[in-house]
Amino acid sequence: MNNTIKQVFRSPKFLVGFIIFSMILLTAVIYPVIVRDPPLAILGQGTFFEPGVYVSTFDTFQAKRYKLDLEDAATKRIAARLGPQERQDLKAWLVTAGVPEASIDTSDTTALMDLWVNTYDPAKSEGMTSAKRNYYERLDLSLKGILGTEGVIIATTNAETGLLEESDSFARDDFVNLNQIPVVRVLPLGTDNFGRDMLTELIAATRTSLLIGFVAGIVATSIGLILGLMAGYIGGIVDDFIMFVTNLFTVIPSFVLLILISFSIGQESRGAFTIAVVIGLTSWVWTTRAVRAQVFSLRNRDHVNLSKLSGHSIFRIMLKDILPYIASYVVMALILQISSGILAEAALSILGLGPKTTEVPTLGLMMNWAMIYSAHVTGKWWAYIPVLVDIALVSFSMNLMNTGLDQVFNPALRE
Amino acid sequence: MKKMHLGALLVLSALFAATSAFALNPGDPLPRSETLYFNGQQWGPVVGWNPYSSNNNNALAVAQQDNARVVVFESPYVYNMLDGKQYPLLADGPFAWNAKKTEITFKIKAAAKWSDGTPVTADDVAYTWTANVKYETGAGVNSKDYIDTITAVNAKTVLVKAKLGADGKPVNPLQVISYLSSNYVIQKAWTMKLEARTGGDATKFKADPADDFVASGPYTKFFADETKVVYVRNENYWGKDKSMWGKLPAPKYLAHTIFADNNAGFAALKAGQVDVSQQFNANIQDLWLKENLPISTYLSKAPYGIGASLPTAFYNLKSPGLDQVAVRKAIAMAVDYATIISNAMTNQSATFTQVPRSLMNPTAGEQALYDKAAVKSLQWAGKDAAGANKLLDAAGIKDTNGDGWREYQGKKLSYVATCPNGWSDWQAAIEVVAAAGKTIGIEITTNYPEWSVYQTVVTNTPLPDGYDILMMWSDGAGPTQPWGRIRHLISSEFANTNNNWNGNWGGYVNPAADALIKSIPGETNAAKLKAAYTKLVQIYLTDVPSFTLMYRPQSFHAVNESVWTNFPSGDKPTNPPVPPLDLTDGYSIAGLYNLKLTK
Repeated sequence: MNNTIKQVFRSPKFLVGFIIFSMILLTAVIYPVIVRDPPLAILGQGTFFEPGVYVSTFDTFQAKRYKLDLEDAATKRIAARLGPQERQDLKAWLVTAGVPEASIDTSDTTALMDLWVNTYDPAKSEGMTSAKRNYYERLDLSLKGILGTEGVIIATTNAETGLLEESDSFARDDFVNLNQIPVVRVLPLGTDNFGRDMLTELIAATRTSLLIGFVAGIVATSIGLILGLMAGYIGGIVDDFIMFVTNLFTVIPSFVLLILISFSIGQESRGAFTIAVVIGLTSWVWTTRAVRAQVFSLRNRDHVNLSKLSGHSIFRIMLKDILPYIASYVVMALILQISSGILAEAALSILGLGPKTTEVPTLGLMMNWAMIYSAHVTGKWWAYIPVLVDIALVSFSMNLMNTGLDQVFNPALRE
Repeated sequence: MKKMHLGALLVLSALFAATSAFALNPGDPLPRSETLYFNGQQWGPVVGWNPYSSNNNNALAVAQQDNARVVVFESPYVYNMLDGKQYPLLADGPFAWNAKKTEITFKIKAAAKWSDGTPVTADDVAYTWTANVKYETGAGVNSKDYIDTITAVNAKTVLVKAKLGADGKPVNPLQVISYLSSNYVIQKAWTMKLEARTGGDATKFKADPADDFVASGPYTKFFADETKVVYVRNENYWGKDKSMWGKLPAPKYLAHTIFADNNAGFAALKAGQVDVSQQFNANIQDLWLKENLPISTYLSKAPYGIGASLPTAFYNLKSPGLDQVAVRKAIAMAVDYATIISNAMTNQSATFTQVPRSLMNPTAGEQALYDKAAVKSLQWAGKDAAGANKLLDAAGIKDTNGDGWREYQGKKLSYVATCPNGWSDWQAAIEVVAAAGKTIGIEITTNYPEWSVYQTVVTNTPLPDGYDILMMWSDGAGPTQPWGRIRHLISSEFANTNNNWNGNWGGYVNPAADALIKSIPGETNAAKLKAAYTKLVQIYLTDVPSFTLMYRPQSFHAVNESVWTNFPSGDKPTNPPVPPLDLTDGYSIAGLYNLKLTK
């Protein structure tokens, strides 16, 4: 046994697959211990916040201020709002408003802004499309005070008089230290359409999906194994019957069957566990056939015949004399079944037939909601690419382990 | 010989090229600069063109509703949801009530003509009514309790007699005037042809696909298959007469590609293959803010459109505990509406801070109809778990066994909130409702049945388990509003009825509210009207039989200006204002005459 395991870990393919898989598994187990937020808590008021560090504006005003004299601060501020495209757009508007093109120098920020502030009038956008008109109004607003040096005043409403009173002000060279701000939230993968933290949700979903995969894989492999062993070893009418049923299931595409069963269970009782069992119940067919074929070749071996002569029960023979010889195959089948179970859940959820919505996050459900809220059309990559990569990594690592095992156990492939 | 052939071939192909350049065949690619493309209205292929049928699945051609679609068929008047007025279309000038307010007279425009060149007459109007009643069409069934007869006084004058109650006053004058802008005028000659063909059988009459229809509108059938529907302009349309528009609508073709789903339609809008979008496009503002596309909505800032209807969560008043006002109000108070509006609706709804809850939609006309100060103390802003908990504690509905959930009469308060599966913004809203339960010790889980199941369950009584809090719509904008919406929300005439497509699905009964609802249509005194509406809002916010979750536009309306421009805009309204109803519904048809090609 030890020797076999050593041999397995010497296969580079298995090792890489195993490392990737263990890392995913470890993250799924350890992360919830560190970050204790419920994965489905709605944090953001708004959809699809971009990945990044979110700092409380209120706390920023309250925090201790430092003066930093940065030479490029003003340049950076201007560049953020007045890039090359915006400069060209300003020029285009000025030209339509009758300013001679030759007198506009887009590289001279001061002159350009001077010209803009003195010329721009929303009423002169006549004849433009609404989209263009609105664009220039927004642009004009965003450029207000871009060249100034004055700070900003903070005012609070006096409860008695209802008037605004200056309570604080800050200058353009004021800075705060991020470490001193009490309320900061890192959203490494942003938020989803419900305003939930994507990373926390993704890891919780990976857990659920792995669980679904394991349950589905174990159910499918157990059924396949038991039926295969019986058909292969007992033979005769039992074999005929099992093969009849198996062939029936082979002809019906299992995914169609899966869709029909999921649909008929109804949304109410469609928990993650139920879905896992349903996936398992519809994907045992190939395991049965393969195990049966293996058992066929084993059942007339000498040691099996000897066991028979010694009067051992069928059960014992199957368990002790046949199973160990096909164990490696069964483990490989199990790994494949787990990986295909995860994929099946994802596929079902994208069709809206997955586990009951938002009771637990699953990878498929996350994809489903991202699609419903058009994340892929509006370029909110963080709402679906990490999920895709996660699904791909899980099934890639499992397939890699499987190929590695195959190389070790399959004599035809042994180097 | 060979040369001859070649020459003939050349001549023939030149001829072919010439003819095809001038006359477009149905199904040919359409010239982009003459076509206005839509999305979000037509799903699946067209079934028919029969204005008497309610099963045409012909989105742009047949829709008789508060804001009737007047692209192919036309109504006497068209409703403008922005100023609440009915503008004459086939009719000539405003309609007039008689002194006793029992009859309406209106004239038909002299210029009005059918597509076959014959004039539209008062007789056509009268015969349409007769057919609507005789064959029990949707229009007939909806109005026959309020309209007694519609007859022709002479060729161009129509007389509408209201049904009178025992007191000699019309049963409901609002429903009478609503008929004039909600229902089409259909040609008598063609109707008789249809009757002859179907032998007086009502089912056959309504099921006829009516490919030979005659209509009076600016567009007619051009091409329809399972991929798209195309309507072509009638170059002889009567409306180019000075007494109506004075010109033809700008686009020669109206086309609606049949998209697979919302995302396909959204992608087409982005790509400029759709000009007018009637879809819920999540985060639409990103298209111009982030992607700089020439796309805009009626209002350039949130909520981007005019809220007209109030998607509402109804309480099943038979569910244990939900018969208690305290429980109903507590749940409604605890819900985080700001999250529903920002996350589920991506801010395409006014917030409840901007427009506090009542029974009215956010339009200025409806908001002016009730006394805001008188209901202020009853309105709630939401996310008020503390207030809701206090209310429940005061009512004696407490957690007695310490399991974290409150009990009422020894039974744990546990409900299922539901809406149809796949209705994304509704589902997201229901999730937020469920989350509110946890904050006040009431267990709320969610369930999303398929629409086919959901619709049969909620429109019938009694509601089974799993339908404790259910989401449905309410009326939008129209000539009978807000009265019609209020009636549908709380009138006991719909409580515990079967095949109920009107409203009050939770089974709320309040005789005081019924009396007020009955009094409003006949009321002409503005002060008394305001008092009645205010009282109704007070009753609604006190009893909380249901609660509004968001404001939703009558139609979604986003436009891509890469080909056409000068669409209706709330930032630069015209006079009279053209409502953002996709240039097809009610008075928004006027927008088709303002369109220009983008330079």
